[in-house]
Order: sequence, then C-alpha cells, then structure tokens
Amino acid sequence: MSYLLNRLFSMVLTLFLISAITFAVTNILPGDVAMMIMGTQSNPEALAGLRESLGLNDPLLVQYGRWIGGMLTGDWGTSLVFKEPIAPLLLQKMTASGLLVLFSMTIALTCAIPLGVWAAVHANRWQDTAASSTAMLGVSLPDFFWGIMLILLFARGLGWLPSSGFVDPADDFGGAVRHALLPSLALGLGLMAHLTRMTRATMTGILNQEFIRVARAKGLNESTVVWRYGLANAVGPVMTVAGLQIGYLFGSIIVIESLFNYTGMGWLTYQALLNRDIPLIQASVFVIAAVVMLSNLIVDLLYAVVDPRIRLS
Amino acid sequence: MKVPAAFRSAKGIVGALVVLTVLAVAILAPLLIPADWATRMDMRARLAPPSWAHPLGTDQLGRDLLFRVLLGAQTSIFIAVAAVMMSIVIGLPLGLISGYVGRTTDNVLMRLVDTLLSFPALLLALTISAVLGPNLQNTIIAIGIAFTPFLARIIRGEALRVAQMPYVEAARTAGNSDWRLITLHVLPNIMPAVIVQATISLAFAILAEAGLSFLGLGTQPPDASWGLMIQASRDYLDRAPWTALVPGAAVAMTVLGLNMFGDALRDALDPRARGEA
Amino acid sequence: MRRREFLTTTSALMGGTLLYGVTGPALAQAEPVRGGTLIWGHSETTQNLDMHQTGTASTGRVLQNVHDSIVTVDKDLNVIPNLAESFEQSEDGLTYTFRLRSDVMFHNGEKMTSADVKYSFERCANPDTGAVNFEVFNAVESIETPDDLTVIVTLGEVNAPFLSRLAENGAGVVMPEGSGEEQGNAPVGCGPFRFVRREFGNEVELERFDDYWGGPAYLDKVIAREITEPTVRLTGLRTGELHMINDIPADRIAEIEADGDLQVVSWFPLNWDFVNFNHDFEPFQNPKVREAFDYMIDKEVLLEGALWGQGATTASPSYPTSASYKEELGQRPQDFEKAKALLAEAGYGPNELSVVFKVTTNYPYHVESAQIMLEWFRMAGVDASIEQLTWSDWLSQVWVDKDFQISMMNFFTLWEPDFLYYSLWNTEGAFNYRKISNAQIDELTAKARVTVDPAERAAIYKDVQQVIHDETLDVILWFRNGTIGAQPSVQGLDTIVHPNGSNLQFHKVWLAES
Repeated sequence: MSYLLNRLFSMVLTLFLISAITFAVTNILPGDVAMMIMGTQSNPEALAGLRESLGLNDPLLVQYGRWIGGMLTGDWGTSLVFKEPIAPLLLQKMTASGLLVLFSMTIALTCAIPLGVWAAVHANRWQDTAASSTAMLGVSLPDFFWGIMLILLFARGLGWLPSSGFVDPADDFGGAVRHALLPSLALGLGLMAHLTRMTRATMTGILNQEFIRVARAKGLNESTVVWRYGLANAVGPVMTVAGLQIGYLFGSIIVIESLFNYTGMGWLTYQALLNRDIPLIQASVFVIAAVVMLSNLIVDLLYAVVDPRIRLS
Repeated sequence: MKVPAAFRSAKGIVGALVVLTVLAVAILAPLLIPADWATRMDMRARLAPPSWAHPLGTDQLGRDLLFRVLLGAQTSIFIAVAAVMMSIVIGLPLGLISGYVGRTTDNVLMRLVDTLLSFPALLLALTISAVLGPNLQNTIIAIGIAFTPFLARIIRGEALRVAQMPYVEAARTAGNSDWRLITLHVLPNIMPAVIVQATISLAFAILAEAGLSFLGLGTQPPDASWGLMIQASRDYLDRAPWTALVPGAAVAMTVLGLNMFGDALRDALDPRARGEA
Repeated sequence: MRRREFLTTTSALMGGTLLYGVTGPALAQAEPVRGGTLIWGHSETTQNLDMHQTGTASTGRVLQNVHDSIVTVDKDLNVIPNLAESFEQSEDGLTYTFRLRSDVMFHNGEKMTSADVKYSFERCANPDTGAVNFEVFNAVESIETPDDLTVIVTLGEVNAPFLSRLAENGAGVVMPEGSGEEQGNAPVGCGPFRFVRREFGNEVELERFDDYWGGPAYLDKVIAREITEPTVRLTGLRTGELHMINDIPADRIAEIEADGDLQVVSWFPLNWDFVNFNHDFEPFQNPKVREAFDYMIDKEVLLEGALWGQGATTASPSYPTSASYKEELGQRPQDFEKAKALLAEAGYGPNELSVVFKVTTNYPYHVESAQIMLEWFRMAGVDASIEQLTWSDWLSQVWVDKDFQISMMNFFTLWEPDFLYYSLWNTEGAFNYRKISNAQIDELTAKARVTVDPAERAAIYKDVQQVIHDETLDVILWFRNGTIGAQPSVQGLDTIVHPNGSNLQFHKVWLAES
C-alpha cells in the first residue's frame, strides 16, 4: 500500500514537473500567434488588438498561473488557430491515436512472440539467423520509410487500402479500421522487430534454465515445454518491454500521422508546432508526456503485482 | 576493457566493417568529390532512372543521387556523432554525480531525468528544433538534449553499481578523495556501458535526424542529408522510387551496421544481455 | 508572358480574365440533374472561418460557396450587381447608393435587409474585429439605411477602388446582423450552400441551401477533404475516393491530361510569384545589386524547374487581361557577365557578397526555386545559403519583423490594381514588408486612388510597373496555372473557377449518373 501511495505521490510531482517544463519550453518558441491567425493580408493595428485580446502581452508567470489554473478546473482553453476548445479536441485526437497504438501493439505482439520463440528454439541455426537478421533490418529503417513503402505497395500498387485520412470508428467502424491499418503497420513493423529481438533473448535465457531441463528430462513433449513452460515465463518481461515502448510510439506517431494524413494526436501536435498555436502545443505535449508517464507507471505496478520483490527497492 | 572481443563474432566484424565504410565515405567523400556535385542540376535529366551517366538515378531537380548520397553521409554522420557526443558530455557528469553521490542529489536529478523521459525523444527534439529554428547546429542540439536523459539514466545505474564494489569501498577507506575515486575507479569501469550505449544512440540519432529532416525541422536544402533526400522523394515516389530507395538504403545500412556492432559489443561486455536490443 | 505557348499546350479557351480550359472525357449528358454528394480533395487546410478575419486563400476558396458579396465581378473584372441589384455613384464620387435585392434569404431563415449590410460593413471597418480588409472602409464617413432595401455609403474623400474592393468577400460579404460571434466556427451567410460542420484539418461539409436567391444548387452536398499531400490527393482521385481535386501536382499534369479517364480543368492565373529584396539590407540599397540579381535568374528555366513549366513568365503582376497589364514589359535575361559587372560597379568582387535566402515550406515549389536560384547566385560569385521557415516563422520573421535579405512570396486574388500596387509597393502599403520607399511610386499610387477615369488609372498603374522594373524593386517571376482534376461524372466545370482565379464555386456544378 505504501508503495502505491509513494508511486502516486511521485506521479503527481512528475505531472507538475512535466507541466513546468512544457510551459517553459513552449514559451520561448519564436513566432507570433496573432500573425499566424491573420495570415499575410493583415495589418499592424488589427494585430496589436488581437495580441491584446489573446493575453499575449501579460507577464509569463501570470500566463503560467492562468494555464495551470485552467488545466485544473477543466478549462483547457481554445486553440488559437483551430478556434476550437482544446480539451474535446485532444480527447477526439487521442482516441484516433489510441486506435493506432492499440493496432500497432497488437500487430507487433502477435507476430513478434511466435517469431521470437521460433528463433530461440532454433537458437544459432539458420532459422534464428533469418529471424534475427530480419528483425535487425526492421529496427534499422526509419518508420516513415516503412510507411512510404507500404503506401507504394498497398495503396498505389495493389489498391487495397486507403493511403490517407482518418475515419471516426463511431461513424464507420470498417472504414476506421481500413484507414488505421497502414499507419499501424508502419508503426508496428519497427516495434515488432524490436520485440522479436526481446522475445528471442528472453526465451533463450529461459530455455537454458534448470526447470526447463527438468521438464525435458521428465520426457514432456517439446512443444509443451516451449509453449507452456517457456513462454509463460517470457510473456511478463516481453509485455513489460512492450509497455515501455508506448513512449517510443508516441514519438513515432508524429511522423507517421503526418505521412498518412491521419488526424490524431501526432498530427495535431505537429500542426500546433508549425502554427505556433501555443495553448495547443502546451496541452498536447503535456498530454502526451502524461500518457507516456501513466502507461509506464501502469507497467511498473503490474510488474510489482507479478513480482513482489520490486516493492522492496 | 573487453572491446576487442566484439570483433570475434561475425556480427561484430560485419558491423564494424559497415560502420568503418560509412565513416570513410563521410570523411573522404567531401575531400575527393567537389561539394557542388551534390547540388549541380540538370533540367533535362529530372527523375532519371539509374543509368551510366547517373548510376543511382537523379532527383526532381536532376541532381545526381550517387553524389548526393555520398556527400550526404557527411551531414548525417556528423549530426549523429556530434549529437551523441553532446548527450555524453551532459549525461556523463549528471549520471556520475547522481549515482556516486546518491541521496538527495540523486533523487532530484533522477526525478528530473524521469520527467524528461516521459517526453518521447522525437517530440522533445522536434519542439527544441522548433524553438531554436531549424539548421545544422540546432538539429545537433535538439537531438543531443533529447538523448541526454537516456544516457544519464544508464550511467547513473552503472555508477551506482560500481560505487558499491568492494575495491571502490577499499579505496575510499584508504583515504582517496572523491575526485580521485570517480576519475580513477568509477569512470573507467562504466566506460564499456557508455560505449555500448553510445553506439546504439548513434543508430537512433541517425534515425532521429532523418525524422526531423523529414518534417522539415532538420537539415536545410540544398545540402544533402539522407533524411532530407527521403523527404524530397515523397512527391515522386511512384514515378521515381529510386529517389527514396537510395537514401533509405544508406540509412538502413548505416543503422544496421551500428546495431550489429553495438550488439556484438554488448555480447562481449555483458554476456548476460546477449541478443537484447 | 508566353500566352500563345500556354494556349497550345493546354488547348485553353480564352474567357475574360481566366484563360480557361477543360480537357478530357466529360459524360455526354445535356440536362443537369439534382442530387449527389461531391467529394473534393482540397489542397490546403481551412483556418479561421470568419470571412472578415481570414486572410488565407484556402478558406476563401471554400467560403465562396457559403457567402455572397454586395457586388461581384464578371469574367472581365467589371463590377456587376450581386446582392445589390443596382448601385450608383454620385457625380463627385463620394456617395454610393446600393438597391438591395428583396429575395435574399440567410441560412438562418432571416431575410436580408439594409441593416445586415450596415452591420457587416461596420463590423469589417471596426479595428477590434481584426478584419483583414478593414482599410477598405477607411474613407467611409457614414452608412445610412433610409429603408429596408437601400444602403447609402458616404465617403469623406474620393476612393476610386472602393466599389471593386467590395466585390471580394473579404470586404463586401453580407452577414446576418449580430452573427459576428458565430462566424469563426459556424459561418452563416446567404450563399448557395449552408455550412454544416468542419472537422479541423480533415473535412468541411456543405449542404445545399434551397432558398438561395440565385436558385438552388444541383448538388445535395459538397464535402471538402483537406489533403495537403499532392500525391496522396492524386491517388485518391485515381482510386475514385474523390470526385475532384484542385492543384494537381505540377509534374503530373501532362500525364493526367493524357489519361482518358479523367478531366482536367486548367486556368491562368491562379496566383503570381516574385523574389523579394530587403531594401534595408545594405547591399540591396544599391539598385545595381538588385539588378545584378535579376540578371542571375533565368525565369523560364526556374519556371520549368520549380513548377514543371505550369505557368507563364511575366514582368507585370497585373492580371493578364486587365487594363493595367503592361504586356510590353520584358524580363531581364540571364546574363552572368552583366551580373558580375553590376556587382563590381557596386563594389562587390567575386565572393565578397553573401546572402541568406529565407523561404517558406508552406509552398514547396518556393523551396525548389530557392535551391535553383542558389546555384545561379553562386555561379555569379555570390555566397548564398537557404533558411527554410515554417509558415508562421516566415510570417513573423519576414512579414512582420522584416528580418531577411532575400525571400520569395506569392499572392492570390490581387486583381484589383489599387489593392495590388498600393499595398505592395507604396511606402505606407500594408504589404510592403520589403521596406520599399520610392517617391515616384508613392506619388503614382496615391494619384491613382483619386483618379476616377478607368483608362487614366490603368495608365498610371502601367507607369508604376515600369518603375518597379527599372529600379528592380522586386523580381516578378510568373503567373502560376490553376488546375483541377475530376472524374468524368463531374459536370459544369466551366463555371467552377471564380473570376479571381482562386475561389471555387459549386453553385452550377452537378454530378452525372455514370
């Protein structure tokens, strides 16, 4: 219990630090939001008026206080460029990106675990070399490059899947899946390669352990040994690593969503950065960092449940 | 140090050869090839497929992709090396102090590092690049800062481990100063871990530079960098796939080499972690 | 400008300002039919939807269908009645009387009256609104509404361009009284389509407004999907996900035109581009240096390189068929020897001058142009480098802070010569971000403002162009073509492009059953 409380306290502290860092960094962004809203055909008088009404002339500390106060009371402000309330906008985009993260994680895990086990079982034979080399190649290419190749193959070449856009699952579930598939694959391939390597390494370690040798000696069927005894012990560590990759995925979605015109969190954050939409940058960077931190915390807690020794440290 | 042991595996040898080749290209190409060959345009040979005149084809402005990819190595490698060096320069003292001194200092520093780790590295680099404005120097700073927390975390863990070793304890009891202890005993013992992490970070830095340039927040045209070349190829993919494949292959080869070498290095230094990424 | 060549390459029909051409297999179906949803792959993201506040061409392009202005222009850019069924100007040029149509309905069900016009004009003129075109109303002294259908605008001094400035929605739009607050998120107007919703950065949905004063449109709905990636847009058209796209990637136009399954609409001009010098940057204070740079640029090759030849070079930024277009004004040819000599005269030997070219990634062809020009600058012994800027950085660094040496920009919809020449080249002009200050131009543009006779005005603007060219205040490059690619089922494409060359109107567009 005290471990949990301790973690919760440090979570709040970290969230506060995240907010401070986000605010500090975004406030030294150059560029003029008012200018951005008005575009080329604007004039100095109108600009000055807009700056004043946006509160851009207030001292920094006042702006930070207003921001934190707003975040705590649920008023996340309005996007300067998109002219929409930020909280619902983020919720909507987070759902879109959540779909991608979920899909790519599923794709990565369902392929990586069997492949990694297969490689471990055939350790140091050609099967292992093939699987490990493929995985090595997988982690060696930028994910947007995979994205480009997928567009070429599945959208332009075969014409099976749409190459761009986002469809709300609530409107058209089939369409949503079709639109999410290519970006998820682009995100999932690198992750899959990484997890394959992890699974192989973990499984290799486990298969060399005493209890596996005992199980084999007892004359148990090899596939029972590998899948029931071996994998059961490998899933925990692999899932933990997978969970920790959520942060990596939230970095990658910025590029991948831009490439696929998939209007989720990554796309939104990139647009906000390009447009110097400070309130939106602050909110979306904060939300991404918070989500990454929370998912890491959940992974930690799950691990602590599985492996009580962790609580001591 | 057991670094040479890394060269005993096939993976290590191949990896090292690839990395050396890329390094040689990065250093020699600018000396042997006039710089303007990467920017020379030919409007009559735009998006030309590979041929004798242009062995790897040309891009949308008729620039030779072979020269661009060779001269681009310099930019990509320089950014990656400089960024990783920067993250070591900042991360090493942070991690050392945190791990060696411990207590409050450790708590405060690691709280900060953990917070920074909550920001995806690419997001952090992107934001910093947007703050500073995109150019070569700022790309290095952005990637360098984004990678620092990872390095600091790993070095801190190693420093913590080494600081508790009996011989360090013994040296401390013998009355050596902290400075002496850190420089003579702790630092040399964490170097292998730093080298492994640096190799892997180099691979990530090359990918990060490509990602930043792809979003327009990295290297600036007309300089050739691999990320920038892939970015420029986007609009001409189905007409001229080689414009993407050439720089893509260069990135893949380099990162693959670094990963293989890093793997072998780790295997040699830490047999327990065999094969982990 | 090589109009002849343009005509032969695209088999365009000449129709007023726009040189307009439709090629490809339109389905032979004479009678328009009602119904259907048209899905348009729009090249840009719409931004602030408030017609007064928005300065971006992309938003105006969509809102053209939601709003109507008090007057409008025909294909030859003559001001013609629109929401006002007639208008007259007093002898002294100070009083404008508009007689409004009695059958105009807003999307909210209200009838349009003179009060709405007064409200809209006053909202635009009020600096607190942040209207882009607020200065149109600078000379206005009073707006009176003697009855529901009459509006009398009185100016304090003659303002020759006043009426034609009202022909653009940015200044002349009529919104329902009191609707200002909603306009940014849910624009309300009296155009042929009602705004339904926008999912930012993804799509805008418009629905037919049955009570439109000009008769109901054919289409049930128009959905504008915002797809900024050119090749992705093209793929969507090819796979049939989209009925039409605007801005076909320049290098693919010939291929699409040759494609028997698609229609191509091309027109000229969509916009025009120029290279800018910062007149505060010491070397560029010397006209010889500016002229030298002009001599370094081969405009035809640049057009080919950056836009795959999709446009026509010009030395005059006036609309090509407008009265003020100075056709005889030629561009300087590329001549490195002359350039070097001029630089030497100005005191700069080889590699003694170094410049930074700031260019925005918002227009990828600007980045290509800058790369090509950079090679030429280097060949002429100028040490040059590029700095790519995001749109917002370009706006704040170049446009607002004037912190640049060389840059490049384009302008849409500046067909009105006062808007064009006064804003861009007068010392006091709102768009004079190059810090140009030329006494001759100041005098000429001020004089044109109070010159009522059209021929006299046109002659003044031709003199302005001569000064711009002689002094190389900027380097005018070209007019860029506009293009639309469409499925054979899309009909009425000859009416889709607004005379300003940028806006698209779907009122008379329909979908044939295929």
